Amino acid sequence: MQAALTVRGLAKSFGRKVVEGLDFTIYPGEFYALLGPNGAGKTTTLRMIAGLMRPDAGSIAVYGRDVLADPLGAKAIMAWIPDEPLLYDRLSPLEYLAFVAGLWGVAPEQAQPRAEALLDTLGLWPHRNERCEGFSRGMKQKTVLAGALIHEPKFLLLDEPLTGLDAASARLVKDLLRQYVQGGAAIILTTHILEVAERLADRIGILSGGRLLAEGDLSTLRERSGVSGSLEDVFLHLTAA
Amino acid sequence: MFTAPGFLWLLRHELRVLWRGSILVRTHKHVLVPIIAVGLIFQGVALLLAGQIVRHPLPQDQMLLAANINIVFLFALMFSRAITASIDVIYGRGDADFLLASPIPPGRVLAVRMLGVAMSIAAPWALLGGVLANALAVHGQFWALAVYPMLLAEGLIVAALAFATVTALLGRIGPAVARRAGHTLALGVGIGIFVLGQLSHFVPPQELARFWQSLLPGPSGGGLAFLFARGLLGQGASLLASIGVSLAGFALAWRVLAKPFADGAITAAAYRPPGRTGAQGGRFANTAFAALFSKDLRLLGRFPGLVSQVVYRSLTLVPVVFILAGKGKAYGGMAVVPPLLVFLAGQLGLFFISVLRGTEDAPELIATAPVPVALPQRASIAAAGYAALIILALPVLATMARAPGLLGALLAGLAGVLLCNLTLGLRLPIPLVRAEFGKSQTGTTLGLILGVSVSSLWALLVWLIIAPSPFAWLVTRPV
Repeated sequence: MQAALTVRGLAKSFGRKVVEGLDFTIYPGEFYALLGPNGAGKTTTLRMIAGLMRPDAGSIAVYGRDVLADPLGAKAIMAWIPDEPLLYDRLSPLEYLAFVAGLWGVAPEQAQPRAEALLDTLGLWPHRNERCEGFSRGMKQKTVLAGALIHEPKFLLLDEPLTGLDAASARLVKDLLRQYVQGGAAIILTTHILEVAERLADRIGILSGGRLLAEGDLSTLRERSGVSGSLEDVFLHLTAA
Repeated sequence: MFTAPGFLWLLRHELRVLWRGSILVRTHKHVLVPIIAVGLIFQGVALLLAGQIVRHPLPQDQMLLAANINIVFLFALMFSRAITASIDVIYGRGDADFLLASPIPPGRVLAVRMLGVAMSIAAPWALLGGVLANALAVHGQFWALAVYPMLLAEGLIVAALAFATVTALLGRIGPAVARRAGHTLALGVGIGIFVLGQLSHFVPPQELARFWQSLLPGPSGGGLAFLFARGLLGQGASLLASIGVSLAGFALAWRVLAKPFADGAITAAAYRPPGRTGAQGGRFANTAFAALFSKDLRLLGRFPGLVSQVVYRSLTLVPVVFILAGKGKAYGGMAVVPPLLVFLAGQLGLFFISVLRGTEDAPELIATAPVPVALPQRASIAAAGYAALIILALPVLATMARAPGLLGALLAGLAGVLLCNLTLGLRLPIPLVRAEFGKSQTGTTLGLILGVSVSSLWALLVWLIIAPSPFAWLVTRPV
């Protein structure tokens, strides 16, 4: 089975080493959570995978496409959602989706119904013609999520995607992401809300000081850490060591 | 026991924040050197000019009129700037609520903010006016130094009025529209100054003389209407009275606004959501270029300062229209039209591309898209060039009709200046006043200086092609 993401020997430093010798693999239909304390290198890793930052060493392949050698090919099947919503305040959600669909080369006859369906699902349909400048952070985050999904990427990179969402919206987004994975796509997510990772992720990687400390499902992590409690207990034990 | 920080401590903080947001601090150090050099040249020219003023003094009533015109224009320009500055310190900077939640007396916070705005709007004019005042003082005319306290006095009264206006406006029309009102006022003043400067070309001299005569203060000194003007000319009693009036106005505005400010009513009013609906709608494009182009045009069209800034730059068109309409032969007639249009195209192109750079809020979204790195830049160049050409289309067509022989040079000049300034603006956008709150300035003064130079060079080149002796009108023009 071809991996959705293959990371080998990834390294990056900004004066000090931020990511060091990182190896991991994600498979289609898998929800992978990358956890770690502040400054562990999670966002840097995601930015390198998204093609926004060149690693000092190592390789990244998305569905076999080398992100460094064929960035456009890899980007065509990926979507990245950062912790701060990347949005044009003076565009409406519908205009934003039209723009993103155009960037990813989605034909208008496919993009239009998809945009309408996504806006409807995410509760943004009544606001489709309002400029985003008046939106709450949660509404902006949902607009960005709709943008990420409009080109039906096979691989999603999510950096703290639930920040700013109320409980109902967070549930909606979690259900949407879960469905997306069940449809065969792969997702990598970073979050500080460990319950989210525990509930959504098929496998969890714990990063600290730029290195992968442990990886696996919750029971594997419990075995590895020797802690039988919640993911929080396991995480705190592993990162404190 | 806690002691609230004093007024001066808070004022120092306020001035530091204002200074760090000023264009001088954001200007690259390599640009500061030529700016200082130009400043010294100005000071030298001012010394010569001051010498002339001392040798050929104007009659007192004409001096008073000149001073009063300056006071009125400065008042309007300062007021326009003070409106946007007041909106910024109440809402834009985002720290008013933070300070209101602190144990510092709210009245003190408001007074410091008002004083900070007063000083920040007076400072640039003090720098400019100081050049001539210092030069006059060197020639023994110490009355000219009255410009410094008078500018501060004017700044105080203007800041007080601006805070009161903004408070009234924000609750009703929201911060974005209130800021646009400030821009529009500045635009009106700019047009007024330009029109006054052009009067001699279009109004018969006798009528013009009658007009100026009617504005003279008369033997009584003009009464209250000329109070600030007399203060500016260093008349002691008027100077003190002007400062007194300004301080009283400032204190009155502070007194009226302190209570609603303390209650949070002023800052709360500013948080009205923009609520712009209905006008927008998505059109799905077939290609990435089309999507980028259409996004750029939308952002350009929705830039709040678009109309005022375009009108400012398009003042170049006023003599062009007169000449094309056959109603004026100023500066060499038709031969001057293509260079003026080329200059305007360069300035518009630079402005539009700078707006697009400044409103690009999601560069990383585009960076993660499967499009070549140069495509977004090409789309921005195309959108900015397209917008500039739309504005220029009519005068270009009129030139084609009136003087078809000039069309080749004109089109070549337009293509050259647009290509140069659009490419320049991508790398060095000019500073823009951003109506979007809480976002930083992307422009540089270096871009502004280079852009104007490029526009001027292309205009000169086209002029030289059309008229090998472009300044002949200066020699042959009847005095």
